[in-house]
Amino acid sequence: MARRYDSRTTIFSPEGRLYQIEYAMEAISHAGTVIGILASDGVVLVAEKRVTGKLLDLSGAKEGGYGGSGEKIFLLNSNVIGGVAGLTADANSLVNYSRTAAQRHLLLYNQDIPVELLAQRLCDLKQGYTQFGGLRPFGVSLLYAGYDPHYRFQLYHSDPSGNYSGWKATCIGANSGTAQSLLKQEYKDDMKVKDAISLVLKTMSKTMDSTSLGSEKLEFATLMLDPKTNQPKARIYKPAEIDALLVAEGLVKKDEDTEMKAA
Amino acid sequence: MSIMEYNGGSVVAMVGKDCVAIASDLRLGNQALGISSNFQKIFPVTDRIYVGLPGLATDLSTLRERFRFRVNMYTIKEEREIEPETFARLVSSTLYEHRFGPYFIEPVIAGLSKTPSGGVEPFIAATDLIGCLNFAKDFVVAGTASAKIFGVAEGLWEPNLEPEDLFETISQTLMNAVDRDAFSGWGCMVHVITKDRVITRTLKARMD
Amino acid sequence: METSFALTGKGYVIIAADTTAARSIVKMKVDADKIKVLSPHLLMSYSGEPGDTIQFAEYVERNIRLYQIRNLYALTPSAAASWIRRSLAESLRSRNPYAVNLLVGGYDTTSHQPHLYWIDYLGTMTEIPFGAHGYGSYFALSLLDRYHDPEASLEEGLSTLKRCINEVAKRLVVSPDRYTVKVVDKDGVREVEL
Repeated sequence: MARRYDSRTTIFSPEGRLYQIEYAMEAISHAGTVIGILASDGVVLVAEKRVTGKLLDLSGAKEGGYGGSGEKIFLLNSNVIGGVAGLTADANSLVNYSRTAAQRHLLLYNQDIPVELLAQRLCDLKQGYTQFGGLRPFGVSLLYAGYDPHYRFQLYHSDPSGNYSGWKATCIGANSGTAQSLLKQEYKDDMKVKDAISLVLKTMSKTMDSTSLGSEKLEFATLMLDPKTNQPKARIYKPAEIDALLVAEGLVKKDEDTEMKAA
Repeated sequence: MSIMEYNGGSVVAMVGKDCVAIASDLRLGNQALGISSNFQKIFPVTDRIYVGLPGLATDLSTLRERFRFRVNMYTIKEEREIEPETFARLVSSTLYEHRFGPYFIEPVIAGLSKTPSGGVEPFIAATDLIGCLNFAKDFVVAGTASAKIFGVAEGLWEPNLEPEDLFETISQTLMNAVDRDAFSGWGCMVHVITKDRVITRTLKARMD
Repeated sequence: METSFALTGKGYVIIAADTTAARSIVKMKVDADKIKVLSPHLLMSYSGEPGDTIQFAEYVERNIRLYQIRNLYALTPSAAASWIRRSLAESLRSRNPYAVNLLVGGYDTTSHQPHLYWIDYLGTMTEIPFGAHGYGSYFALSLLDRYHDPEASLEEGLSTLKRCINEVAKRLVVSPDRYTVKVVDKDGVREVEL
């Protein structure tokens, strides 16, 4: 049945479904997981990297830059970080769009874009591809972790259809269902960033297929208020900082191969 | 009366030893009538670059916002901070885009650029209102008191001043020059950019 | 002649504007309200070229309202003022620039601070503790230099405003005789009788 109605993105099937959107969502459910948790004093994002390997040149991520290896977690504006799951190439285009949208808002109003408004800007674009043009939709879901003076810390999720919603804790990508139910059990309303970091890493370690948990597989970021300036400050961890964090949380999973070799 | 003198205001930048200084007055006027005595004309671009924008105040705000937009996009895409020379080119090209209907601003740029050996090198530059760059080795001036600042600076400035001496030199230069200018004054603000920090001070000036 | 004043105090902004709508040497209307309420905590007085003033003020009013409807909260005073300034700056370099001078005063409900902005038809904007537009400004500004107190209570602020109005009435040849006075503070906007 699907075959007749999925060749165009903008055509409903008789059951009232848009198959291309559903396929896009399916693509995302195979992508690296991203988990976000909202705490009272900040927001935490963690992401599972899929593109790994010894030969991958990560020298850019180790020094320089603002942290992150540019695969999963991006700085969207000084008050918002984004985590992406899906087609990385599509994501890059959306990241660029959101950065420009945020700067346009700054130009117009002299203030950082409110988090929900940034999510809306992207969703307006994504929704367009479910209705016009006959192009395929963006195969990307995003988590937005941000701060604005109106609603303080916030966490939003958006999907390829252009729907978005606010969350206390949520997850996108592979195994997101498992992670979601873990989060539902463990989340508490009065969490601080410190507790959120523990929970997010614990959840990630249970969700990931991989046996090893280290900086080569993870990206990690927090958004808190700078105590000096009282302005939001994003911190995207560098690989060494992630490893240090995992050691501190006691979550360094042993790589089985190395263990066998050692034995 | 020229449109460049409508709101008044002056900026000066000077080179020191491993440091630069940039200073401006704080007046905003409507011709001879004073409106504000706390009108900033110098803005931070990065931790190591400051830009002063004397001229027509409406264009000052517009250009400041436009530069911020372009520098932010540069920083977030390049994942590094812009260098002073690069920023000067950005200023120049932004102004020249409006060659036949210009912004009435003559920007002054002061910053420290990184050298390959890891040190810093002082950088100052100024442009006219359509973006013709002037890379000076000693000092640059702009605004309604520019001619007067040139005179005082010529007498006071010397090479290789340490940060505190440079602060004294630029402060005396600006204050004494704007006291002879009807459209500049009403307080002064000085930034001295060194390798480790930026020293920002407001000067107790004549308020008449 | 057209005159408007504004001053800040402890937790409030007062804006006053004369009520005359004149054409050439004739007063066409003596009860015009030239202070728009842009949002629950934002006021804007407008003066300048007749026609431009009302057209631009209503354009601003509707756009600020639209933002509030779309986002469920109003723009902060600084964001609103920045947007208005940009509209004027863009208009300045268009074929028919608006010739409108504004005083934008508001109470920021996120930071709990009053803010006042002086904006002219060129798009010049500056945040000020007190300010004025029109011929009255030549008399009022020096008085405000002397008597303005950022920590003053509302009563003290209103009596400073009365000094300005009285001085203009005394010294300006073509002085307005009536003013609308509006106050914005944490409780919102209200009109007061002097």
